[in-house]
Parts: sequence; C-alpha cells; structure tokens
Amino acid sequence: MSNLVELLISGLSLGSIYALIAMGFVVVFKATEVVNFAHGSILMLGAYVIAATYSRIGFPAAVVAGLAAAATAGLLIDRLLVRRLRRRTHTALAIVTIGVDIVLAAELARRVGTDVLNMGDPWGDDTWRVAGFTFPVARLAAIAVALVLIAAFGALVRYTDWGVAMRAAAEDAETASLMGIRLSRVSLVAWMTAGVLAAVAGLFLATFPSPGLSATANTTALRAFPAVVVGGMDSLGGAVVGGLVIGLAEALTAGYSDHLLFLGHGLGDVAPYAVMIAVLLWRPTGLFGTKELSRV
Amino acid sequence: MSALRVDGVTVRFGALVALDAVSFTVEPGTVHAVIGPNGAGKSTCLNVLSGVYRPHAGSVYLGDRELTRLRPHHIARLGIARTFQNIELSGTQTVEDNLLLGRHHLMRAGLVATALGLPSVSREERRHRARVREITDFLGLSAAIDRPAALLPYGLRKRLEVARALALEPRVLLLDEPVAGMDTAETAEMAAAILAVRAELDVTVLLVEHDMGLVTRIADRVTVLDFGRRIFDGSPEAMTSDPDVVAAYLGGAPPSDSPRAVSPSALLGGAPEGEK
Amino acid sequence: MSDRLRRVPVVAGWVAAVALLAVAPLYVDAFWLQAGLVTIAAAVGAVGLTLLVGAAGQLSFAHAFFLAVGAYGYAYLSGRSSSGTTVGLGVPPVLGAVGAVAVAGALGLAFSPVASRLRGIYLGVASLSLVFVGQHLLQNLTSVTGGFNGRPTPAFTVAGFDFTGTEPELTIAGVPFGAVERLWYLSLLALAGACLLARNLLRGRAGRAWRMIRDSEVAAAVMGVDVRRGKASAFVLSSMFAGAAGVLSALALDRVVPDYFGLLLSIEFLAMIVIGGLGSVAGAVTGAVFVTALPLVLARYSGVLPLVADAGSGGVDASVLARFCYGAAVVLVILVQPDGLAGLGRRIRSRLRRTTPPPPQSGPDACPAGVLQETP
Repeated sequence: MSNLVELLISGLSLGSIYALIAMGFVVVFKATEVVNFAHGSILMLGAYVIAATYSRIGFPAAVVAGLAAAATAGLLIDRLLVRRLRRRTHTALAIVTIGVDIVLAAELARRVGTDVLNMGDPWGDDTWRVAGFTFPVARLAAIAVALVLIAAFGALVRYTDWGVAMRAAAEDAETASLMGIRLSRVSLVAWMTAGVLAAVAGLFLATFPSPGLSATANTTALRAFPAVVVGGMDSLGGAVVGGLVIGLAEALTAGYSDHLLFLGHGLGDVAPYAVMIAVLLWRPTGLFGTKELSRV
Repeated sequence: MSALRVDGVTVRFGALVALDAVSFTVEPGTVHAVIGPNGAGKSTCLNVLSGVYRPHAGSVYLGDRELTRLRPHHIARLGIARTFQNIELSGTQTVEDNLLLGRHHLMRAGLVATALGLPSVSREERRHRARVREITDFLGLSAAIDRPAALLPYGLRKRLEVARALALEPRVLLLDEPVAGMDTAETAEMAAAILAVRAELDVTVLLVEHDMGLVTRIADRVTVLDFGRRIFDGSPEAMTSDPDVVAAYLGGAPPSDSPRAVSPSALLGGAPEGEK
Repeated sequence: MSDRLRRVPVVAGWVAAVALLAVAPLYVDAFWLQAGLVTIAAAVGAVGLTLLVGAAGQLSFAHAFFLAVGAYGYAYLSGRSSSGTTVGLGVPPVLGAVGAVAVAGALGLAFSPVASRLRGIYLGVASLSLVFVGQHLLQNLTSVTGGFNGRPTPAFTVAGFDFTGTEPELTIAGVPFGAVERLWYLSLLALAGACLLARNLLRGRAGRAWRMIRDSEVAAAVMGVDVRRGKASAFVLSSMFAGAAGVLSALALDRVVPDYFGLLLSIEFLAMIVIGGLGSVAGAVTGAVFVTALPLVLARYSGVLPLVADAGSGGVDASVLARFCYGAAVVLVILVQPDGLAGLGRRIRSRLRRTTPPPPQSGPDACPAGVLQETP
C-alpha cells in the first residue's frame, strides 16, 4: 500500500515534469504551427548549462543561466528559421527542427560524453518521511515548481495581451494578423517560454532519483511527446492531463515491473508510447485536440 | 440519367446552422445554380453533396441511390465530380498528371503491376493519356499539358480544376464559384465552357456562384439560399422579381451582426468576395 | 528526335556509373567496399522512405523499426538455433530474406490503421512509438533477437554459392572474391531493383494518388482516391523497402544488434531523403551516400583533416562532425533548396541545356518538392 502511494507521488511528479515539456511544445505549435522535434535538445541544453556552471556561479545563478540558454535557443530558432519559413507546410517546418535537433543533440552528447553530470541542486538524495511513507524531496520540489509554473503559464495565456494574441493566432493567423496582432511577437514569446519550461523540466528530469544528466537526456524528454499526443496537439489543458497520464503510467509500470516481467525489462520506458498508441486508436486527435475541419 | 435530389439537409457547426432543412432537385441535363449571400451555406451544400461533410439530418440521392453516408471517394465513383473555390490542385504535378489523377477510379493498375511495370499497365496509361488529351483540347489546356499546375496562371488553374473533374467522366459536375476572381473575358470563356460541357458531354451541372450575371445567363434553374434556408427555387427570370430574393440581396434590414457583405456591384457581376 | 538527342548524355552517364560500380571490387580496397555495402543498404531504405514522406507526405520516424524487423526477421528465419540462447528456423536464405520483407510489410499493415487515420503531423509523433516499442522488444525477446548482444547474420547461400563467405573460391583478374566483393554485386542488384520498382510506382497511378493526398487530402478523396487506403499502401510499401534494407544491413554488418536500430537511424533516414530531395528516387540514393558515407570518409581521413579529433577523445570526432554537417544540410535544404540535391541537379541540367536548343517549356525549374513548398 505504501508502495502505491509512493508510486503515485512519483508518477505525479514525473507527470508534472512531462506536462511542462508538453505545454511548451503545444504553445509553440499553437502559435507557429511548428512541431518542434528539437524540444528535447533544447531541454537538454538548459539542463547542461545548469550542470556545467553551478560549481562556479552557484545553483540559483546556474538555473537562471540554464533557463536563459534554453530561451535563447528558442529565440534563435524562431528568428533565424521559423520566421523565414512562414507559409511553408507543417512537414517542412518539422524537418527544420529535426535538422536543428541533429546538430544540437550531437554537440550536447559530445560534451556530456560518457559521464553522468550532477545538477548541483540543493535537494540531492534527501528524502522526506511522513506517516510511514518516504518521498524524495527532489520529486516533491518538482511537483511544487511545476504546479506554480503551470498556474502561471495558464494565467499568461488567459489574461495577458500576449495570451489573447496567441490564441487568436492559433484560431486563424491570417485574420489575427489583419486585426493588428503582431505574429512575430506571439511567435517569439512562445518559443522563449517553451525554452524556459523545457529547461526547468530538464533540471528535474536529471535530479534524484535519476542519477544525473546523461548523454541521452533528450531521448528521455521525448517521452513527453506521447503526453502531447494523448492530450491533443493543440490543447494546453490536454498537455497537462496528458503529462500526468503518461507520468503515472510510466511510474506505475516501472514500479510494478516485477509483476509485469512477462512483458520484459524496462517496461516503464515504453509505457508512454503504448498508452499513446492506445489513445490514438480510440481518438485520432487525442483526448482534447480539435478535430481539424477541412475548409474547402 | 438520374436526378440529384437534396432532401431536408441540415448541417450545424456548433450553434451555427449552416444549412437548415434544405431541399431541391437538380434535374438531369440542366445547369442548376445555387446562389446566396456570403454565409448562406452554398459551399457547405457542395461539401455535403460531395461527401466532405456529413449532414446532421436529411439525405442526398442520385437517382435511387442514397449518398448521404458514403465516403467522398465512393460518391466520386458514382459519378459526382467537383471543383473547389480555392483551387485544390496538386501543384507540383503536371497538368497531365492532375488529369490522370482524375481518372484514378477508372484505372485498374494495382500496386504490384505498377511496380513491376507490366505491359498491361503501360497500355492502360496510354489509353487514359489519350483521353486526357481530348479533355485538354476540349478546354484549351493542351499547350500547358507538361507544365506543373502551380505554374499556370490563375484562370488556367481554374479551368484545370474543371478539366480534372471532367476527367472522372462524371454524370454530375459540381462547380464551386468557377468564375471567382476572373475578369470579364475569362468569365465569358468559362461560361461558354460550362455550356459546352452540358451540351456535348451530356453532364448535369450544379453551380455555386456569386456572379448573378453568369447565373442568369447560363442557369436553367436557380435555388437561392439565405442563412442556410432555401428562400427561392425556380427559373432565373422568376428569381429576379421574387420579393424574398430581392429583400435578401438588396434591401431588408439584415439581422444584426450578420456576416452578409454583398455589395450591389458584386451582384451585378463584379468581384465576388471569398467565403469560408 | 531532338528529345532523344538530349537524352544521350543522361544515358551515357548511367552507363558510365553502372560500369564504374561493376568494376569497383577490382580496384577499390575492402574498407571502401564495406562502406559501400552499408551505404547501398541505406539507399534501399531511403528510396522506400521517400515514397512515404516525399510522395505521400506522411512524416514517419518508424523506419528504423522496420529495418530492424527486416534484419532480425532474416536472422530468425534463416538462422540456426544456437545452444539454447537464440532460436532460428533454418529456412533457405533467399526465402528467409523474402520472408523478412514480407514480415516488415505485415507489421506495416498492422500499424497502418493508426498511420492512415492520423492527419499529417500526428503520424510523425505517433511513429516515434514504434522505435521505442521496437527497442524494448529487441532487448527483451531474447530467444528471437539475442537481446543486448544481438545475433549473428546467417550466411547468404544460393545454390551452393556463398555470398557471405569464400565458398566456392573465386578469383577474378587476380582479385580473390570474398564476402565483401560478392555482397557488393548482390546489394547493387537489390538497389537497382528497388529504384526501378519505386520509380514505376511514383510515375504511375499510385504515385499520382500519393502526391494528391500529400497536397490535399480532401481533393484526393473527392477525385475518387480512397485516402486511408492510399496512406496505408504508402506505409506498407515503405516498410517493405525498409525490411529489404534491414536484410542488406544485416548482411553487410555480419551481426544484428539492437543499438543500431534506434531513433538516430530513423532521423538519419529523414536527413537522407530531405538532403537528396523529397519524392525523388535519385535524390534518396544521393542523400543516402552523403549521410552514410560522410562519417566513414571523415573517420578514414581524420589523421589528415585539421579539425577532426580522434574518436572517444571528447573532441569533435568524425561521427560528430558528420552529424553537424548533415544536420546543417537539412536546415539549409529547407531554407534555400526545398527540392534538395535532386532539384539542384535538375536546375543545373536545364541551365546547361539552355545554352543549346531552348527547352520547350522553361518555367522556373521543373518540380519543387511538394511537401516543402509554400502552402496556398
């Protein structure tokens, strides 16, 4: 029983991290129609900068540097590539981000090498015991930070001028532009915000109980893609729900893997993808995605 | 020949009723026009007929055959072909390939036979290329036959859409604003082409149009829609004096915040406005 | 007549290329032939992927999975059971290879209900799942796959002639023909076949339907094309090409291991067809040569090239530098040359022609790669 509660907390924590990744992905898609396959590498860039700088400038400053690096990566992709490619097909835009991902992932994997980098976070492997349960502090911190960020981001989308503009652009970019909405600003803020959210997620993905930042962190981040698809590619609420579903599925299958050995070792790693296929067979545009109405 | 019958068709988008129990019949061998102000439901109507939208109520029949639940490619195979208001060609493919695509359902070559390049496949290709030639000659597209569709001027692309629809060898041809954005000369050419199609190929034509001039010149019968309801169905002559039609187009206070934005000049054959 | 004259240089080029490839084993050392084998296998896979992504416009990351199915399928069907660890059926190699391609096609068909229901970019994300589920299976179905260490590729023997060994002994023009030389011809034959099949498909009824689906699903449907079926057929055929590429890779690499068939391989395949020019068979082959051979070339000359560090030194080694190059190439292609190297070739050819008789229609270049063009 205590096992189940601990697994649920661990799943929620993982899920809220995935939700951060998924929200960034969705906001970029809504604002610019780009399916950003470089998202995992941007996440890893943020985490890497934190890991590489904390010993010199201290953890808080390192986090700021990591967030700034990821936001800058988003900014550069937006300014140098996405902007020039407006009016191209989804596939063309997605392929550009694959190109960026190839380069960024190669460089980061080279720098990390075969090491596992410590993130220098203050929680370390501390645990918190309450009523017979044991929770890693890093996991609780992840939930707390993610909740704050999800709420802040929700408010940003709902109440600020940028949020209104972003939603209008997502509905119909052409009309929004005619109404005086500056699409380039919408796009820029979306990419930078997505970078910040990804970097925070990257930090928590590499803290306890994970051993640290490894060369394959960007692949781990890809597990948030099922969260995006499960929730529906153009739904921010869906991203949060999808993240939690995927996180719980992963934590529970990993936690009960001893009972699921007939399905093989390392089941937690593939659970997100299995859930995604199941959901897609049922609803081809995810749980909350809008059905694309063809306009002809 | 069989009639195309629309019977009580209703389509809703959320709270918006795009078509409200609309009925009319397109008699075989006629040119039938569906007109109405912006947002009247004309394009929605074509989308229902071609199977792109599924109506919430009502049915569509071609002769005795009900089309309502069929997927678009089945409807096409039964002999209903259409064009699009916003040109939906395969831009990278040549004019010839676009037209051969229209003959997809008339061709039999399977994947294996095609991959192996069997003689039967090349024979079939040759036969259909010959027919495509005839169609391009008929519509004056032969000079452009090897050019990618995207590189053609606007008027020719509009005409290529008609040619592609004809390549299906349809019984009914649905035209969605065939002269939208065309100048007077191009409009006249298109009108002549439509009449020739009806006369020489024995195809029934259903036409959605903004251009009243064109409609009164070539249509045998007109259905007028306004806010998703049928307000008139009859001959073009009767239409011009029908009080409901006149009110819908020219006078009458339109209900508040209506998307209706048809200027008198548009009615008289000027530049039509796009409709979503 | 003038049309036929204009084709002369093209035909001559092809004849020269085939002749060069045919005599290569007599002059080229084994390292390059080995690199060639891997490249040819990749080219077969790339040709298949360009049917799906280039022609039908369906972005897919699943290609590595289907390569794995082909490679392991062959190893399972034609391999022998070894001391209780892995199982093999011992089917004759030719049947085993055909069977592996068929299994890849069947799995493609099994996934196609998902593939054909999804609109455009959803497939791209959903197809990621096949790579990861595939990795899981490769690691865990140990009796079939051999687990982490993989399993050896069974010999490819046809009527007593071993393409993967030295039976019977063979020496041509003083060059002893071993596995690499023999496989070279076998692979070339497979590539030629793959190119021919793909070209016929693209030029025919199926290719026109795929491109129409790519450009407008609604228009394709109302023109009588069964869109779901069209997407499914592209997906299944592309998996079968991948299966064949998997068999060739297994033969070239001598051993099949799970690591090879990861996400990176799928990404490399996408890079190949984008760099070469989406939807073009020749482009897919060119792109495969670029992406596969580049790291090998760089590694070979790392001692001479100034910027290249040794592998494992933590510096920019050959494989990292190669990834920089083709990653950047992908971005560049999309930015400035959406129809890739194939389009560049067409452009140069038409430029050359223009100095002689002007071509009948000299529009601004033949066909831009449709997937990447501007939306209307």
